[in-house]
Amino acid sequence: MPTHSTHRRKQASRQAEDVNTSAPAAAPLIVGIGASAGGLEAFKTFFAHMPADSGMAFVLVQHLAPEHKSMLAELLQRGTDMPVAEAEDGAEVAPNHVFVIPPNATLTIEHGRLGIDNPAPARAHRRPIDTFFGSLAEDQGENAVGIVLSGTGSDGSLGVRAIKEHGGLTLAQAEFDSHAQEGMPYSAAATGLVDYVLQIAEMPAKLADYRRHLATVADRKGSDGARRDAADHLQTICRLLRERIGHDFSEYKTKTLTRRIQRRMQVLQIDSVPDYIERLKAEPRQLELLFHELLIGVTRFFRDSEAWDALQQTVLPQLFKDKGASDTLRVWVPGCATGEEAWSVAMLLREAMSRREEPNPKVQIFGTDIDDGAVAMARSGRYHKPMPGLSPERLERWFVEDGDGYVPGKALREICIFSPHSLVKDPPFSKLDLICCRNLLIYLQPALQDRVLAKFHYALKPGGWLFLGQAEGVSRNAKLFGTIDKKHRLYRRSDQPTPPLSGFISSPGRSAAAPAHPSAGPVPRAGDERLDRDAREALEAYSPAWVIIDRHQEILRFSGGETRRYLEPSPGAASFNLLGIARKTLRPALRAAVRQAFADGRPVVRERVTLKTDGGSRAVTLIVKPLDQRGSELAVVAFRDEGVHDHDGTAPVAADAGNAELEQELHVTKVQLNAAISELESTNEEMKSANEEYQSVNEELQSSNEELETSKEEMQSMNEELQTVNAELISKNNDLSRANSDVQNFLDSTRIATVFLDRDLCIRNFTPDMKELFHLRESDLGRPITELAGQLQSVDLKRDVEKVLRTLAVTERDVIVKGGAASYLMRVLPYRSISDVIEGVIITFVDISERKRAEEAQARLAAIVSSSQDAIVGHALDGTILSWNTAAEKIFGYPAAEAFGRPMTMLLPEGLQDELPRLIRRMRHGQNPTPQSDVARIKRGGEEIEVSLTVSPVLGADGKLIGASTIARDIGDRKRVEEERGRLAAIIEHADDAIVSKDLDGIIRTWNAGAERLFGYRAEEVIGKPITILMPEDRDDEESGILARIRRGEVVEQYDTVRRRKDGSLVDISLSVSPIRDAAGRVTSASKIAQDISVRRAGEAHREMLLHELSHRIKNTLATVQAIVAQTLASAPDPKTFQATFQARLVALSHAHELLMQGNWQGAALRELISRLLAPYRNDQRSQWTLEGKDIEINPKATLALGMVLHELATNAAKYGALSKPAGHVEVKWQVKRDGTLHLVWAERDGPRVEKPERRGFGSRLIVDGLNHELDADVQLEYKPTGLRCTIDVALEAVASERVDE
Amino acid sequence: MASENTSRIRGLRILMVEDEMMLAMSLEDTLRRLGCEVVMAGRLHKALKLAETEEIDGALLDVNLAGERVYPVAAELDRRGIPYVLMTGYGNDMLDADYRSCPALMKPFQADEMKRVAEATFKPD
Repeated sequence: MPTHSTHRRKQASRQAEDVNTSAPAAAPLIVGIGASAGGLEAFKTFFAHMPADSGMAFVLVQHLAPEHKSMLAELLQRGTDMPVAEAEDGAEVAPNHVFVIPPNATLTIEHGRLGIDNPAPARAHRRPIDTFFGSLAEDQGENAVGIVLSGTGSDGSLGVRAIKEHGGLTLAQAEFDSHAQEGMPYSAAATGLVDYVLQIAEMPAKLADYRRHLATVADRKGSDGARRDAADHLQTICRLLRERIGHDFSEYKTKTLTRRIQRRMQVLQIDSVPDYIERLKAEPRQLELLFHELLIGVTRFFRDSEAWDALQQTVLPQLFKDKGASDTLRVWVPGCATGEEAWSVAMLLREAMSRREEPNPKVQIFGTDIDDGAVAMARSGRYHKPMPGLSPERLERWFVEDGDGYVPGKALREICIFSPHSLVKDPPFSKLDLICCRNLLIYLQPALQDRVLAKFHYALKPGGWLFLGQAEGVSRNAKLFGTIDKKHRLYRRSDQPTPPLSGFISSPGRSAAAPAHPSAGPVPRAGDERLDRDAREALEAYSPAWVIIDRHQEILRFSGGETRRYLEPSPGAASFNLLGIARKTLRPALRAAVRQAFADGRPVVRERVTLKTDGGSRAVTLIVKPLDQRGSELAVVAFRDEGVHDHDGTAPVAADAGNAELEQELHVTKVQLNAAISELESTNEEMKSANEEYQSVNEELQSSNEELETSKEEMQSMNEELQTVNAELISKNNDLSRANSDVQNFLDSTRIATVFLDRDLCIRNFTPDMKELFHLRESDLGRPITELAGQLQSVDLKRDVEKVLRTLAVTERDVIVKGGAASYLMRVLPYRSISDVIEGVIITFVDISERKRAEEAQARLAAIVSSSQDAIVGHALDGTILSWNTAAEKIFGYPAAEAFGRPMTMLLPEGLQDELPRLIRRMRHGQNPTPQSDVARIKRGGEEIEVSLTVSPVLGADGKLIGASTIARDIGDRKRVEEERGRLAAIIEHADDAIVSKDLDGIIRTWNAGAERLFGYRAEEVIGKPITILMPEDRDDEESGILARIRRGEVVEQYDTVRRRKDGSLVDISLSVSPIRDAAGRVTSASKIAQDISVRRAGEAHREMLLHELSHRIKNTLATVQAIVAQTLASAPDPKTFQATFQARLVALSHAHELLMQGNWQGAALRELISRLLAPYRNDQRSQWTLEGKDIEINPKATLALGMVLHELATNAAKYGALSKPAGHVEVKWQVKRDGTLHLVWAERDGPRVEKPERRGFGSRLIVDGLNHELDADVQLEYKPTGLRCTIDVALEAVASERVDE
Repeated sequence: MASENTSRIRGLRILMVEDEMMLAMSLEDTLRRLGCEVVMAGRLHKALKLAETEEIDGALLDVNLAGERVYPVAAELDRRGIPYVLMTGYGNDMLDADYRSCPALMKPFQADEMKRVAEATFKPD
C-alpha cells in the first residue's frame, strides 16, 4: 500500500501528464521486472538473451529480506555487459542500464527518476512490484513495460493493470522449471490484462520488436502522442464495434479512443491503421480485445479520499434526513467497473446507518457497468491485498477473509446489487437519492456528457445528489445541477425540467457528427481560427456588419461592433431572434429576404432598404446568404450601409421630389404589404395545418397519458408485489444463512469424513475429516476426486459414483485406506438438490476398523459355537434364553426361533426348577458354578434326556455378571444307541432269515443263527472266509457283480438264486444285498439277507394242483347235472313233473356239495348228510324219521353218490311210501361191521301198502346200479308190503374220508 | 339229440369207463340209443380187466377215475389195437404228453359231439 506521500505524488504526476502530454517519442522503454522466489534464475535467463545495447532501461523489483544486504546486483552483473547498480533516490533511469531495488525500500519512478522510500511498509502490506509498476505506468505511459516473473503470491497483478491502463506493455512468464514458482505470473495472467505470456528466453526479442514498432509509429503521432492517422479511421473502427459488439463508442473522447486503439496496434505490432482494421474484420477476437481495452478502468476503494470525506460530511446527513424505516435510499454507481466504488458507498452508508439512532431506511445501491466481466467481478467481490484506500479498520469491519482474499460481509452484500448496464444505451434508473459517477465522464465527448448529465438529472429525485470525479464537472449544464462543493465535485439536482432525453436508444443510423446542440457544430481547427480572427479584425472597418443565424432566425454569431446600428433589443425577455431585435424598419424586408434565402438556398440581395434611425434614414442593402447549399441550417445576414437615404441620390427638397418619394415609399410599402400578406397567408396555412397536427398530437398524447396512468398503477402494484417478494426473499435468505451455518457446524461436528462431488466427480465441498483421510486442501475444490483416489486401495471410485448416478441407489463398500491400517465404510449417495435434481454424489467414510476386528472375532466364535456338537445356550440372569446353537436345536428339540426369549426352566424337570436361580446365585458370589455334571433335562414334547452340563458366567465389559452360558452334551443318546444296537443284534440273531455281512472284498464278517440253519455252517467256521464258499460252481461270477454294485452304493433288490450248503446240497434262496455306510456316508461293507424258498416252491405247486382239481370237479359236476337233466327228462311225463323232480335232485346235489364245502372238500358227516336230505319231512310236532348209527366221515365221492341215492329213496317215500302218509315212518340205521363193511339199512313202515313196480325207473336204477358202479357197493332193494327196505353194503375204505395230511 | 338211424357205429360193442355215476348212466343211454352194446366200468381195476378180456370195438375213457389215471387202460387198448376216445374235465394240456394227440372229448360235451367223435374214431371211412 503506498504511503500518503507517494499517493500525493502520483496525483501530481497525473496532473503533470494532463498538461504536458506524454514522454517524448525518443524516450527509452523502461522495463520493470518483478520477481520473488525463484527470481534470480529468471533474471539470469532474461539477461542472457538481452543484448547490452538494446536502448532500454531495466528496473528489477525483487522481494528481498529487509535486514540483509542484497548480493543481487553483483550476481547479475556477471551475466550481462550492461552496468547493474542498486537503485538510489533521484537516479535517472538511463538506457542500457540495470537498476536493482535495494532491501527494505519502496521503489517508485517520477519524471524518469527513481524514488526510494525507507523503510518498506510492514510485510503484510508490502507489494513493491505493484507499487513500482503503478508509478512506472503513470510516469511513462506507453513506454512502460511490466514483466512478472517467478514468485508466489499475487504481487504484480495490480501493477500490470495500471501499466495496461496507461497504454504500456505487459508480459508474464509462461513455463516453469524446478526453480520457478507459478503463483505471481498466474495471478497476473488471470487479470486478463497481460499482453503476452511467454517463456523468459523469448521476452527480450518481443521487447525489441515492441520498441522498434514504437519508433516507427512515433512520427505519425500528434503533439498529444495520439496517432493522427488513427484518428482518421476512428469512425470505421467505431462502426465495426457498434455492428459486431453492439456498443457505440463514437461519442467517446477521440483522444482516449485513439490511445487505446494505438495500444492494441502496438501489442499486435501493426503499423498502419487500415491493416489493423482488416485484422479486426478478420478476427472477431481482436474486436473483443479492443472492446475490453476500451473498458479498462482503474478504480479502488475511496479513490480521492478527501472527496469521500466531503461526501460523508456534506451529503450523508442530508441523505438520511427525514428518512424512516419505511423509506428507501437509492444510490446508483454507473460505470462501477470492478465494484470498489460501489462497495465504498456501501461502507459509508452502513457506517452512517450505524451512527444513527432513528430507524434506518432501506438502502439500495445499484452498481452498473457496460462490461459483463467487470460486473461479475464486482458481484463476487473477491479482492486481494493490498486494497489501497481501505483502512484496516474498515477491512476488519466490513470484509470477511476468504481463502487468500477478502469478500464483503453480509451487511454490505445486502444492500448492493450489480448488473450490466449501458449508460448510453439503456434507460436510466430513477428516483435516486445519490448518483456516484466518478471518472467516467472524462472519457466522453461533451455532447455525450450533456446527454448523460440530462439522464442523471432525470434519474435523481428533486434535491438528489451527484458525486463526480476530480476532472469532471457540470459547468455546461449549470442550470440542471447546483454546485455544492466545487472542489470535491458535489452537486445537487436543480428544480428544472429535465431537457429532452434524446432517445435512450441510440439508433445505428445516427450520425455521430449530427450535433445535438448548435454549439456542437463543426469546430474550426485552432490554428485556422487564429488567422481568421486576425483577418476579421483587420477587415472589420471595411466590411459590412453581419450576423449568422440559423433556420429559426436565432443569432449564433455577431460580427464587430457595427451590428448595433441595425439591431435594437426589445423590452421583455432577452432574445437572440434576428427578427425580434432587428430595427423595426428593417424587419419586413429582412423577413422576406431570410425566408427566400432559406427556401431557395440562394443568396438574396435587397437594395436600398430604408433604415430609420434617430438621426434620419439611411439606405441599407440587405444580403442574406445561406452558408452551405440547399438544406443548410445556417445563413449569414449582412447589412451594407449605402449612405444617407437620398432618393436616387438627391436630397428630398422639392414637393415633386416629395411626391416621388412618397410614391416610391408607397410602392415599396405596397410591395412590402403584398409580401407581408402573402407571408401571412402562407403562415396562416402553416398555422392551420400545424394546429391540426397539434390537435391530433394532443389527442394522441391524451390517450398515451391515460395509458401511462394505467401503466403507472400497474407498475405501482407490481412494485408492491415485488417489495413483498423481496421481503420474503430476505427472510428466506436469513433462514438459508442460518441453515447453512447449521449445516456447516453439523458437518464439522460429525467427525465423519464427507466429500461432495458434482456430476463430473469434481470436489465441491468436504468436511474437515476429509483432510486427514485424503489430505484434501482448500485448493483441491474443483479438482476431480479421481486424482486423489489413490489413497483407496483397489476401489474403482469412478465406477461406483457412476453407478450411483445411474441407479440413484446407495452404494456401500468397505474400503481399506492405503497401508491397511484402517478400514472405512464408504457410502456413496446421490446428491439431490432441493428441486430433486441429482447434481452429484456425497461420499461418506465411516471408520469401521474397530467394528471390523470385532466382527471377525465374533464370526470366528460364532462358527465354533455353531459347529459344536454340544448344545451351547446363552441366557440372561433371569434365565431368558438369548442364544441357541444348532446342536441345542437337535438335543432339546426346540428350533432357535422358538427358544429365543423363553426361560431356561422349560428344560428343567419337575422338582428341579430352582436349579438355575441357585447357579446364578453362586455365580454372583464369584464361585465357579459347576464342574461338569450329568443331569436330567426335558426335551420338547416332554421326553426326559440325560445331559452332561457345564455352566459358565458371562461377564459384561465392566466385569459384572450379565448372564450365563450352558454347555450340554446329550449322553442319553449314547445310551440309547447302545440299547438300540443290542436290540438289533438280538433281532438279527433270532431272525429266521440268514443275515450275513461281508466287507467289500467279499469276506464274511458276521453270521447269524438263521445263516447257520440255512447253510449248515457255524459262525466260527465261516467268519473271515470268502462268501464264495456258498457259491455253486456255475455261479462264481455272480458275487463279483454284487460287490461291484455295492461299491457303487446300489442296493441289490430281492432276487431268487441258488446257494450251496455245507453238505454240498443246493438250496433255493431269495437274496437281497444292501451297502452299509459309515458316518461319512462311505460304503464300507454289505449286508445280505437270504431266505429258504423250497417250502414256498412246494406250496406254490400244491396251489396249482388244487386249482386244477377245482376245475375238474366243476366240470364233472356240470357233466353230472347234464346227466341228471337227461335222465329226468327221459322219465318225466310232463314239464311240470320234470321241473319239480329236477329241482329236487339239484337241491340234493347241492346239499351234498354244501356239506363237502363245509368239510373243506375233504368229506362230510354221514348223519348230517342224511338229516339234510330228510329235513323237508320233519314236522313241527314230530319227526317221521329216525337215524341210528355211529357217525362217520365219508369221502366226497361217497357223499355225492350216497346223497343222490338217499335223495331218490326219500323222494320215492314221499311220493309212494311212508312219508306220503302222516303216520308213516322211515328208519335209517347203519353200522360198520367187523369185516370193514359199512352196512346201511333204509326201512319204511306204516306207509301205504307197497308193491314191486313193474318197470324199473330211474330212481331204482340210480339206487342199485349207481352205487354199485361208483362205490362197488352191494345194494338190495326189497318191496315188502309193510314198507320199502333198502340195504347197502359197501367197503368202508371206499366211502370213509381219508384226510389228506397237507 | 343224436340220430339213431344214421349212426355209423350201430352194432359196435363199446367199453365205457366213467367213475361219475350219473354221467356214466347218461353216456350209457346215449350209446345204446346209437345202437351200441355197452360195457361199463367205474374203477380203474375193473376197466383194466375188461380192456384185457372183453371183445370190444372201441372205448370211451374218462381220464380221471376217482383220483387214478386211466392211462394203463389206454395202453392196453393201444396194445390190442382198439381205438378209444379220452374224456377229460381238465384241458387238453393236462393230458400226459403221450396222449395229447389222441381223440378227446372235453367235458361237458353234447351227445352229437360224442357221436361225431366216436364215429370218426371207431368207424373211419
